[in-house]
Amino acid sequence: MKDVLIKVVDAAAQKFGADYVEIRAQRLFKTMLTLKEDRVEAAKQGIENGAALRVLVNGAWGFASVGTLDIETLTSAVSDACKMAKAASPRLKTPIKLIETKAAEDKVLAKPRKDPSKITVEDKINTTLTMSNTILGYDSRVKSCTIDYLDLTGTSYFINNEGTYIEQDKLYVWSRILATATEAGIFTFSREEIGSTAGYEIFDVETPEIVGERVAKRAVEQLKAKPPKGGTFPVVLGPNVVGVFVHEAFGHLAEADLTLSGSVLLDNIGKKIASDIVTFYDDGTIPGAFGSFKYDDEGVPAQKTILVKDGVVVGLMHNRETAQKFDTKPTGNARAEDFRFQPIIRMRNTFMEPNDYSFEELVEDIKFGYYFKSFRGGQANLNGTFQVGIQEAYEIVNGEVSEPVRNASMSGNTLETLLKVDAAGKDFELWPGRCGKGQTAFVCDGGPHIRAKGVLVGGSA
Amino acid sequence: MVVVLKREKMLNLAEDAVSFALRKGADEVEAFVYQGLTTNVIIERGQIARSSRIIDRGLGVRAVINKAVGFSYTNILESKAATEEAVLKALSSAKASKPDKDWHNLPAKKTFASVENTYDNNVVELQSEDLVEVASVMLDAAEKADKRVFPIEGGAGASYLSRVIANSNGIASFDHGTIIECSLATIGHEGGEVTPVCFEFNAERSYNIDPEWIGREAARLAVSALKAKRMETKNTNVIFTQFALQQLLYFTLINAVKADYVQRNQSAFKGKIGEKVASEIVTIYDDGLFNGGLCTWKFDGEGVPQQKTLIIEKGILRNFIYDNYTAKKEGKESTGNASRAGYLTTPNVEATNFHLMAGNKSPKELITEVDEGLLVYYLQGAHSSNPASGEFSVVATPAWKIKNGEIAYATKGAMLAGNIFEVLTNVSALADNERKIGQLVAPWVLVENVKVIGK
Repeated sequence: MKDVLIKVVDAAAQKFGADYVEIRAQRLFKTMLTLKEDRVEAAKQGIENGAALRVLVNGAWGFASVGTLDIETLTSAVSDACKMAKAASPRLKTPIKLIETKAAEDKVLAKPRKDPSKITVEDKINTTLTMSNTILGYDSRVKSCTIDYLDLTGTSYFINNEGTYIEQDKLYVWSRILATATEAGIFTFSREEIGSTAGYEIFDVETPEIVGERVAKRAVEQLKAKPPKGGTFPVVLGPNVVGVFVHEAFGHLAEADLTLSGSVLLDNIGKKIASDIVTFYDDGTIPGAFGSFKYDDEGVPAQKTILVKDGVVVGLMHNRETAQKFDTKPTGNARAEDFRFQPIIRMRNTFMEPNDYSFEELVEDIKFGYYFKSFRGGQANLNGTFQVGIQEAYEIVNGEVSEPVRNASMSGNTLETLLKVDAAGKDFELWPGRCGKGQTAFVCDGGPHIRAKGVLVGGSA
Repeated sequence: MVVVLKREKMLNLAEDAVSFALRKGADEVEAFVYQGLTTNVIIERGQIARSSRIIDRGLGVRAVINKAVGFSYTNILESKAATEEAVLKALSSAKASKPDKDWHNLPAKKTFASVENTYDNNVVELQSEDLVEVASVMLDAAEKADKRVFPIEGGAGASYLSRVIANSNGIASFDHGTIIECSLATIGHEGGEVTPVCFEFNAERSYNIDPEWIGREAARLAVSALKAKRMETKNTNVIFTQFALQQLLYFTLINAVKADYVQRNQSAFKGKIGEKVASEIVTIYDDGLFNGGLCTWKFDGEGVPQQKTLIIEKGILRNFIYDNYTAKKEGKESTGNASRAGYLTTPNVEATNFHLMAGNKSPKELITEVDEGLLVYYLQGAHSSNPASGEFSVVATPAWKIKNGEIAYATKGAMLAGNIFEVLTNVSALADNERKIGQLVAPWVLVENVKVIGK
């Protein structure tokens, strides 16, 4: 593989006029399952080969993606990419430059205890069937469940014309579990995701029985839940909600491409935007976590990046292009879903640092408010407006967690809301998920339980 | 664009896979060959910064043995060994899987209806230089409009898509089409205030786009979203534009009419055929043959002819949408609603062009009718709706307050909460400004009595 890639890189630089060239070649293997109730809809296995070729010519990017790895196709694709860049460059006002990085040569091997590619399809079907039986057997009011399973293994070969060459194994195990329950015209819905870069051993911890019961129990308990009141209330957020809150309300704004697009953080770098107890990280180095990897898709090593320290914005997430614009170091946040996509700035494992409160202390002073335990989706906007949908919530009445509440959501503006975070717990959880930004990235989000003084709650009651 | 895989080659690949699978012991088999070629020019932060060309093609094989279904795909089409390995993997997957008592058989061959305006050679022939020109016109129009506007991202793209389905029941069909898209996202900024992201676009099957209008309109929206104010919490009238409607319906109503959801007790519409589920001015078709529709094809992801299906007639629920499996489970015929995401996965029940029929009022007249209300352009968080119950709790960004029949000011962070099925019942007027957004074809819709949480 390496010999072919070197020749194509040389051709781009010498024959087609590329100032910078990189190739990301991949061989990927997937197993996918979809279960609907106890029915295996289809067992699926696939093989993909492909390459993403990216060049800088006259300060503009050219990109080509092809599904073939022979030298003729790759050479013609890189020539295409150079032509594309030349077509785009006349309209450029500010030529694109990349910050310099140290060239690296490395071979990164995945070392799973249980390699998903060595486990039979029958075993994988049995794992998901156990999960589905647990869910449907939990309560007769549980009417349906849909389980998706995916494992992806393979190798990514990265090369550029600056001397970097990295072979990196890819390994992801993921499952999404949905359940619905019905009683007297009320429909409830519950979801969970499992995700790991360690191996199939994730199911030793998140066993089909544990996960199945978690999903089914929530769907059933929501049947007796009431709609929330709309308005501004004090809230306690569970680690699962804190994670998505950090991701949506702050994380996206701190992706340097979006910061430069005019996110509300642009004028707030180095300034205090949150209360003293707020410290955020985006960390690509947590072993086995769903958002971890050794090198990003520009060949830059992943690292633990501090974004907010004691309420002050101290860092952003960068690729080589934005790092050059901010005259700082790249953080290893350039990621592409696969060879069909260009790398863009994405989060990895994003979380808030814990503090020293117990859960009881967080709740005890609240006369009336909400405890948001688990999320269902969230979305950010450049002006700082965020929304997080909640799938499991409870009222807090006179300092105690009380009745369940369904289909709540919370919203607000980042710059106002982060200042209202007034206490954080000593616990910590990290939850896997997927993030969409024109392409999908596997991530984790998390933190401790936290309390915020006044958050807008969307409710129909 | 140079078409990589020609029609004959695609048909051969699919038919070879079918006959190889039958030789290797499949009871039934279906092969899907997909090709997508896309050229894009991309705007980033006020300038055309990149251009790309993506070639994606592959083969997906669904094989059935003893009523158990297996699937495999590959994008290595140059080697017979690789395509045959895909077939063998589909067979081994089927053997590893469990029999499904409700599996009947793959669809049989039927005659297709004719489709119009789904392919335009002008789109195929577009070069990246042409798309750079389109994107420039759009960008210039936005920047000329107002200094407070910043075009953050967007671009222009042209795609050629082709697909072949062959199965062991004698289906062997080819279809191809084109899509051209042009879009611009902007924000407005003034004195420390930043607006939510505003967005306008064209997406068409034929080369019939207006980049200058997109640029102007994306700029106009951003400027009018400035000076936003909070509003009070109350139940009020809401005009949903097609963008907001598409986001809301995609996660709620469209799921509720899928036979898969109905059969599996996940739809609030189960058992309600013939009942009133919406205001009597609401008529909806799923129209897989809609002229120039973004989801218009001769056949669906299983080779079944696409068709026009009446879903809601003057407020009365008439039909659900089916793929082959869900239809045969009820002894019915597929409505041509099996959708595939390329060659990478098996078909799923999905709407085609979900057509909410327009009314006869101009958008201006619709606003004039509202004493007090909200004009909602986009929603944030629609994907967190409860797909089973239809309950939603979302943010309207941007949205404008309507007072005495006129747009008064932009609102800040207003949330909407309710249930899509109540929304359908409370539709009180429809505009005449039908447009296509993704699956949805619809006008602006006026809905009474929606809960808005302002502060």
